[in-house]
Amino acid sequence: MSNNFPDSTTQQIAEQPLPGDLAIWIFIAAELGIFAILFAAYAITRNTHLELFNAAQARLDKTYGYINTILLLTSSYCVARANRYIKEGKITLCTRYLIYAIILGASFLIVKIAEFHNDSLNGITISSNLFDMFYISLTFFHFMHVIMGMFILTVVTYKSYRHKYSQTDHTGIETGGAYWHMVDLVWIILFSLVYVLH
Amino acid sequence: MQQIFTKAMARNIFLGGAVFFLIIYLLLTYDTWQKIPERDHANLMTASVIHGKYLVDTNDCIGCHTINGEGSYYAPELGNVYKRRGPAFIRVWIPAQPTGAPGRRQMPHFNFSQKQLTDIIAYLKWLSNIDTNNWPPNNQG
Amino acid sequence: MKYQSQKVAMPYFVAALVLFLGQIVFGLIGGLQYVDGTFLSTVLPFNVVHMSHTNLLIIWLLMAFMGAAYYIVPEEAQTELYSPKLAIITFWVFLIAAVLTLLGYLFVPYSELARVTGNALLPTMGRGYLEQPLPTKVGIVLVALSLLFNLTMTLIKGRKTSLNYLLIGSLWGLALLFLPAFYFPNDTVKASYSWWWIVHGWVEGDWELILGALLGFILIKMTGVDREIIEKWLYIIIALTLISGIIGIGHHYYYIGAPEYWIWLGSIFSAMEPLPFFLLIFFAFKIFSQRRREHPNKAAALWAKGTPVMALLGAGIWGFMITLAPVQYYTHGTNFTAAHGHLAFFGAYAMVSLAIISYAMPQLRGREANSMKAQHWEMAGFWLMVVGMISITLALTGAGIVTVFLQRAAENPLSFMQTDHKARVFFWLREYSGIVFSMGLLAYLTSFFIPGEYEYSEETKKALNN
Repeated sequence: MSNNFPDSTTQQIAEQPLPGDLAIWIFIAAELGIFAILFAAYAITRNTHLELFNAAQARLDKTYGYINTILLLTSSYCVARANRYIKEGKITLCTRYLIYAIILGASFLIVKIAEFHNDSLNGITISSNLFDMFYISLTFFHFMHVIMGMFILTVVTYKSYRHKYSQTDHTGIETGGAYWHMVDLVWIILFSLVYVLH
Repeated sequence: MQQIFTKAMARNIFLGGAVFFLIIYLLLTYDTWQKIPERDHANLMTASVIHGKYLVDTNDCIGCHTINGEGSYYAPELGNVYKRRGPAFIRVWIPAQPTGAPGRRQMPHFNFSQKQLTDIIAYLKWLSNIDTNNWPPNNQG
Repeated sequence: MKYQSQKVAMPYFVAALVLFLGQIVFGLIGGLQYVDGTFLSTVLPFNVVHMSHTNLLIIWLLMAFMGAAYYIVPEEAQTELYSPKLAIITFWVFLIAAVLTLLGYLFVPYSELARVTGNALLPTMGRGYLEQPLPTKVGIVLVALSLLFNLTMTLIKGRKTSLNYLLIGSLWGLALLFLPAFYFPNDTVKASYSWWWIVHGWVEGDWELILGALLGFILIKMTGVDREIIEKWLYIIIALTLISGIIGIGHHYYYIGAPEYWIWLGSIFSAMEPLPFFLLIFFAFKIFSQRRREHPNKAAALWAKGTPVMALLGAGIWGFMITLAPVQYYTHGTNFTAAHGHLAFFGAYAMVSLAIISYAMPQLRGREANSMKAQHWEMAGFWLMVVGMISITLALTGAGIVTVFLQRAAENPLSFMQTDHKARVFFWLREYSGIVFSMGLLAYLTSFFIPGEYEYSEETKKALNN
């Protein structure tokens, strides 16, 4: 007599409710959650160390930040354009705008690296003081997310270039695009909180 | 957004997430490694201190004690015992064990030579100067 | 049991349970020494009892994981194990090495053991859980390599499933993460920092992946729910484990000499470590509720559902209690840690091991499930052990609270010995709880000797009459 249940085949997936939306929301929640906690920790600590934070913040060169904000916003705009083009079935234009987005994202990374280098020359490190610890941790963590986003965008762009997406089937562009927008959103909050607000 | 979250997506998030955080951890470890020698005064780790550590390890002191909170919770913290008791006390205390006091937790008898005690005390002294971010809260450890 | 070579799991499971019993014997002795320090102190000093207790734990869990892998991998790969003979030889090597090591702890003074086993050549002895002499550590690596070789060759020749990739992959991880055991620098801070690569890397990382794989296998087999769903949720759970746990290792770095930023990074990321455990409960219960049949092994179902709950309690809740830096400032190195450690180890790893044994052992003995009489003994064992362990945890937490208030946070702190003397009622409670736990273990072991298979006709009649 057969003992246990044989493994079901993919045919049976349709019969059972796939918790798809719930699962992706868990990850979006986790991502935003981590950043929310980091921002909250920053805000609370700032309250109890106001003078130190204001003084240390003044040492930052906001020019890098302004340039990066423009780069990321424009990059997000290009991704949104690409998404619109694929919905209109314009594959070549979609690919082109995705490439623009990647170039702008790469520029962000270069500017950020230059800024980190400049910081280290000015004695701003993860251990120099409490504000610097937050600044370095937050921006580096975000930096890593930009790299991750670039990786995803590159995969999506390549697939778009190879005509793997169509007017009706382009969820990859939407998912990848959503991630990139999230990275952009986090930067705007980060820039406002850490660089500007005093 | 309307889409199916597939097993492949979940697998990619797992692999991507793991690599992502592993890279961050490696970078942090690199920085930590550079900072440790200053925080624990590695330059003061003499041959005596190193030998004292070897004696502490091979006699399994952390089988009962803790060092900076790590070990067993049967006997007192040794990370700050140098500051709490001083070298003279330690030199007399260790060879005097066990106390044999009824019901009291017993420390084995260790036949350390005076040189070995000197090394152990040197190690305990070195331990007490590590920058542990103000831990423990007080002398009792 | 579909493949003859799955039989090699049997000796691993039997050895695991015998070593578990040994672990508890030492636990009872050590617990008694907490309240009567002169009990056996001349022949069995506390540190010897302690290292025997912890090392037996690790060895029996490893035996259980290995047995589980030898059982699961052939079935998942739909082919016989590459070399059953190698698995049996490896078993004996592992068991004999473990027994010899234990005898070494018991009968040879530690410094002497270090001397005769060549510790001076490459010092590795003296850290918690890593008390083994150098030859034993080398033996562990060889045993692991043998296991990995056998399983990987089986995977290569057979069907590839996500579960098999996960299980074998995490066993590779287990072996790799053991390698820092051979790195023991003179710098105590570096030694501590790297020690956690093994300890945290295992129990708050790699082993959670193993736990997921074992639980996933049981769910696939017992409920009939589509494996695509089960495997997908497994990936989500383990993704959260590593996303929170890799930087979460920082919650061991606050007060050991590492830089200050760990206080922030460790607190923030480790605070999220309970998340996968919440998901694990949801996962286990949801999948069971969607089952398509009533599997006759009720005991295994109980273990499979009880494990994530106890794991959340011990690892998630008690762990969260001591994970934030400002709290840990007062609780670091107290019985709070012991409380968390006991409930977490038992709730997560002991219980998942007992769950897989509960599912697989009847199969290995030629039936789908044991008689209800045997299952009732087993389930009684489950409840007594669960209640016993929760009591142990509460008792140790009480002792920890005493330490925090009288020794750490006090204006005029008492000494360690004075404080622990004040806490002695909690240490007595812990010992009594340990006795309850032991009763549970004995009831559990008895269930293996109750004869008989699950009687479908009998049980159906009973159910219909109700």
